Amino acid sequence: MGEIMEKILASAVEEKNEKEYDVLIIGGGIAGEEAALDLAEMGFKVLLVEKEPSIGGHMFLLSKVFPTLDCASCISTPRMAAVAHHPNITLMTYSEVKEIEKRGEGDFRVKILKKPRFVEESLCTGCAQCESACPVIVPKEYDFGLRGRKAAYIPFDTAVPKIAVIDIDHCIFCGQCEIACPVGAINFLQKPKIIKVKVGAIIIATGYKLFPIGRKKEYMFGKLANVITSMQMDRLLAPTRPYNAVLRPFDGKEPMNIAFVLCAGSRDRTVGNPLCSQVCCMYSIKQAQLLMGALPLADITIYYMDIRAFGKGFEEFYQQAKDMGVIFIKGRVAKIEPAENGDVVVYYEDIENGGRLKKAVHDLVVLSVGLLPNPDIAKAFKNVKLELDEYGWIKPKDENTNPVETSIPGVFAAGCIVGPKDIPDTVVEAAAAAAHVAAYLKEVRG
Amino acid sequence: MGAKGTRKRKLTVHILRDRLGLKPSKELIETLKKQNEIKNKIFKAIKDEAKTVPEIAKETGLDTTTVFWYLMTFYRHGLVEEVGKTDEGYFKYKLKR
Ligand SMILES: Cc1cc2nc3c(=O)[nH]c(=O)nc-3n(C[C@H](O)[C@H](O)[C@H](O)COP(=O)(O)OP(=O)(O)OC[C@H]3O[C@@H](n4cnc5c(N)ncnc54)[C@H](O)[C@@H]3O)c2cc1C
Ligand code: SF4
Ligand code: SF4
Repeated sequence: MGEIMEKILASAVEEKNEKEYDVLIIGGGIAGEEAALDLAEMGFKVLLVEKEPSIGGHMFLLSKVFPTLDCASCISTPRMAAVAHHPNITLMTYSEVKEIEKRGEGDFRVKILKKPRFVEESLCTGCAQCESACPVIVPKEYDFGLRGRKAAYIPFDTAVPKIAVIDIDHCIFCGQCEIACPVGAINFLQKPKIIKVKVGAIIIATGYKLFPIGRKKEYMFGKLANVITSMQMDRLLAPTRPYNAVLRPFDGKEPMNIAFVLCAGSRDRTVGNPLCSQVCCMYSIKQAQLLMGALPLADITIYYMDIRAFGKGFEEFYQQAKDMGVIFIKGRVAKIEPAENGDVVVYYEDIENGGRLKKAVHDLVVLSVGLLPNPDIAKAFKNVKLELDEYGWIKPKDENTNPVETSIPGVFAAGCIVGPKDIPDTVVEAAAAAAHVAAYLKEVRG
Repeated sequence: MGAKGTRKRKLTVHILRDRLGLKPSKELIETLKKQNEIKNKIFKAIKDEAKTVPEIAKETGLDTTTVFWYLMTFYRHGLVEEVGKTDEGYFKYKLKR
């Protein structure tokens, strides 16, 4: 967030009346959505708060999902719409939970900051005319910088809600968006608000953030255009992709010799993350298979330490990739350097051939980045402490028997905020958290 | 004042700007100037003929990464279309009419 938005947010005024809900869910990724739908179906009134302009989390940005190769957005988009339309769910996007006070069992008082979009939600039709008119281009967050968006923009084609946002920190105050809007939805005088709510229970579903791989200098991310992250590759393979095909950012050429570097920012003490991120092996194998479909003549190499194919159907998925011709090389990548015409040299330790340092040239390198927690929400708790583990993941009350209960009775957690996991495990945990909330509310309310 | 003097109502963006004394930063203005130059160069290069990214880069003097990034931004905003592909794996792009 930039200076101008900070200045505007500082003027937020607290609303007088307090609204009441049975449950507050923080985070609108697949974990938060599933928990919200389960509880809403049981008849509970749910408030779902998402900090970004759209719900969907990471899942709605993915191409397909391993190991079934089902289309990710075909699964997530109807779930997102169901959340938005359920009569028992109130959705607050572009909003942040600032303060949580526990007054007693089943009684949490919460303050939520609703940031201004500078667009009237009830008027905007998502037509994108403001975006066409706006002269300023900035990197698009939802495409992880692979292309640009405008300062007035629709967050994403399949965003829920599909309402424009003004990025006030990149605005030159020219007024073009306001003139172009056919329904007069743009309102720069919209104010930030602090909304007070009382809830009976809370589910934290704030998920993960990607490991900032620029920290591992040897991999040259941010320095070489043809070194990209796995999340960027998932975007390139998605139907809502930023380009017209799978192409190299360096010059728009179809890549013909692609490498994956596994454990980039995971299992690596030198960058402060010794943990395995659990999903990188499988999502890389997924991407390799999808690339073989999109670019049948391309060579795909995966550099790995071990392949952790532990889930149902995972080993078969791995074998299938080998049968399709994906080359697996056991060896940690030591460094990456530029070669000619945007190509990239990968130096690796060839473990199966005596551990010698070898090098290979590729025309696109994908860093299979690890997952880190999104634990900032812990700071919002005022008079009770939300326990985190030493890496910032939520510490369940009992890892073995009670993975969704936190250190605070009445506060539950689900999905990747508890630890890295795939979508099916996230959904199971969301259902468990919803069931625990129902039991807790029954107990405290009698 | 608003558009072309015909608009009586002051735009809300100008009310906010004046009320808070907001000004776009020098860097933002510089970036915008550069963006306009890039846009004009790319549009001129592909106005009448479809070209690949290296061809546009050569003609405009911009680097291929910059050309491609802006081209894809314009492509997604519906201003540019793809017209075939070369044997080397480069698409050709043209300005939409
Ligand atoms: C490149 C890549 C590919 C993957 N491919 C697959 C795959 O093929 N199959 C599979 O099963 N899994 C895959 N995964 C894993 C999958 O993304 C996760 O399992 C899943 O998205 C976890 O969902 P979540 O809801 O827990 O977290 P998230 O998707 O991270 O959602 C969390 C939400 O909470 C919001 N939030 C965060 N902090 C706050 C806050 N303070 N207040 C309010 N809101 C907040 C975020 O904006 C976000 O919307 C992949 C992961 C990566 C990185
Ligand atoms: S006022 Fe700001 S957001 Fe609107 S068109 Fe101008 S620069 Fe873009
Ligand atoms: S703000 Fe106006 S122009 Fe922009 S998407 Fe909404 S309705 Fe369309």
